[in-house]
Amino acid sequence: MIIKIIANLACSFIGTIAYAVMFQVPRRFYIGCGITGSVGWMMYKFASVYCSVAAASFVGTVCAVLVARMLTVRLKCPITIFMISGIITLVPGAGIYFTAYYLVTNQFAMAAAKGIGAIKVAFGIVLGIVCIVSVPREVFQKEYWVERKIAKQQKNGKRNPVNLPGERHR
Amino acid sequence: MNIRQITDGKEDYIELLRMGDPDESRIRKVLEEGELFLLEEHGKLRTLCVVIFSEEKKCEIKNIVTIEKDRGKGYGRYMIHYICEHYCSQYDWGYMKKDRCRDIMEFCEKCGFTDEDEVYLKKELMSEIDTKRVINLAMEAGRMLLKNGGEIFRVEETMMRICRRFGVKYVELFTLSHGLFICAGTDKEKLYTKVKQVPLSSTHLGIVAEVNDLSREIAAGHVGIEEAIKKLKKIDKMPVKRIPYQIAAAGLSAGGLGYLLGGTSMEAFVAFFVGCVVFSWSLFAGKHGVSKILVHIVGGIIIASMALAAMQIPLLGELRMEGIVTGGIMPLVPGLAFVNAIRDLADSDYLAGTVKMIDAIMVFVYIAIGVGTALSVYHHVLGGIL
Repeated sequence: MIIKIIANLACSFIGTIAYAVMFQVPRRFYIGCGITGSVGWMMYKFASVYCSVAAASFVGTVCAVLVARMLTVRLKCPITIFMISGIITLVPGAGIYFTAYYLVTNQFAMAAAKGIGAIKVAFGIVLGIVCIVSVPREVFQKEYWVERKIAKQQKNGKRNPVNLPGERHR
Repeated sequence: MNIRQITDGKEDYIELLRMGDPDESRIRKVLEEGELFLLEEHGKLRTLCVVIFSEEKKCEIKNIVTIEKDRGKGYGRYMIHYICEHYCSQYDWGYMKKDRCRDIMEFCEKCGFTDEDEVYLKKELMSEIDTKRVINLAMEAGRMLLKNGGEIFRVEETMMRICRRFGVKYVELFTLSHGLFICAGTDKEKLYTKVKQVPLSSTHLGIVAEVNDLSREIAAGHVGIEEAIKKLKKIDKMPVKRIPYQIAAAGLSAGGLGYLLGGTSMEAFVAFFVGCVVFSWSLFAGKHGVSKILVHIVGGIIIASMALAAMQIPLLGELRMEGIVTGGIMPLVPGLAFVNAIRDLADSDYLAGTVKMIDAIMVFVYIAIGVGTALSVYHHVLGGIL
């Protein structure tokens, strides 16, 4: 069991980094890509024990995109870089391939089953992305929470002389 | 005409600058804190100009001199135009002291300076920017993003940002998955329209990241238009990773993702080699301009035949076709097109989203055709022996 978990972790980490290399991602983002991919895949695996594949894809996507957005704000780069590597493990590539394969080999019932499964997974991913992308960007910046805390303290009457961070938006 | 900035040996030009300002000590002082520009044509010096700066985003043209016999040929105006464009990213306003001499006042008026107060004339530096150049820059940035795998909204945002920063107010944009349309203008200049086709091609996310950084710097005012064009050209030539490195990565992704998607470790091991070979083929085919359909069909045939061959080797134990194939197709899977398609659909950009999605799905169909062909040849022609 533990060996299986470690193998999954390692494979998702290496697999996503390798995928990122094929898309010419700059070297400084490799670790971030690996982390996003691993988080997405592990959450998908845990969730798939309790619910359907589509729902598990949703959970995995939400976690992966969340991590991707945090990393994006921190490393200041386009979110695509982490998002692609994070979601690639969940994308129903195999599902669509088998749909096409069963169609080619005249197994229509199987093709329909695989195809609808793949579409459901794709919708799970779309919903997951929409959920996180629609959250405003400020939430992912540290300063937002610091300022919020200060505002709260001021509301409570406690004047706290914390220096505001200089550069807020980038 | 060629303009260059002088940093060393500014004192050599004092003699010439005295034409505009007889006080030598003042010239020395101005030269020390200001920047000196020379305009040359056919190797001969025509115009000199000294600019100094104050803190509040203002700069002042302190001294502008054209050699006597070259006056009235437009060198001075070209110099002012250059200075405005050069400094517009850092400063908002350019100033010039009033002069009793009628000629000088006329010259200033021609260059677009207007009355500020008793002493100074002023001019908005942004107004000197050429709309066409800004749009060309924005277009180039957009093209590079779109070509290398940027999302539609990022392309539009970047182009908008560049146009706004350089004072092009009216911008209309329309972006497709492989085409850019822009129509823009300012109060003074008429509308200018440009269309660009961006063929689908290989992805380079490094370029996307660099262009994104550049657009942020432009928006923050750190980079002028001249520098931005140069930087963009340099980014466009960014090298791809070394080929052996890419092939190894393809193998690793095939093996790793093959294991995750339900392969055994032995199947993942075979998928590693399948991935390497298939990716080498797709690189080779891409270099020689083989049609995409053929690349994927042959890719499918390679995957299936390698999987069948591996199944004949008793050393590797029990292997399933599916396990190897799911891993092996990974280097060919258009993951980026698929994810971008999903993102565009999530942004309600159905047109670009559907086109990319169909592009991605067709790849799977071609691979399946290839695999199916190889399998039926194996079963019907070779009769499953071998």
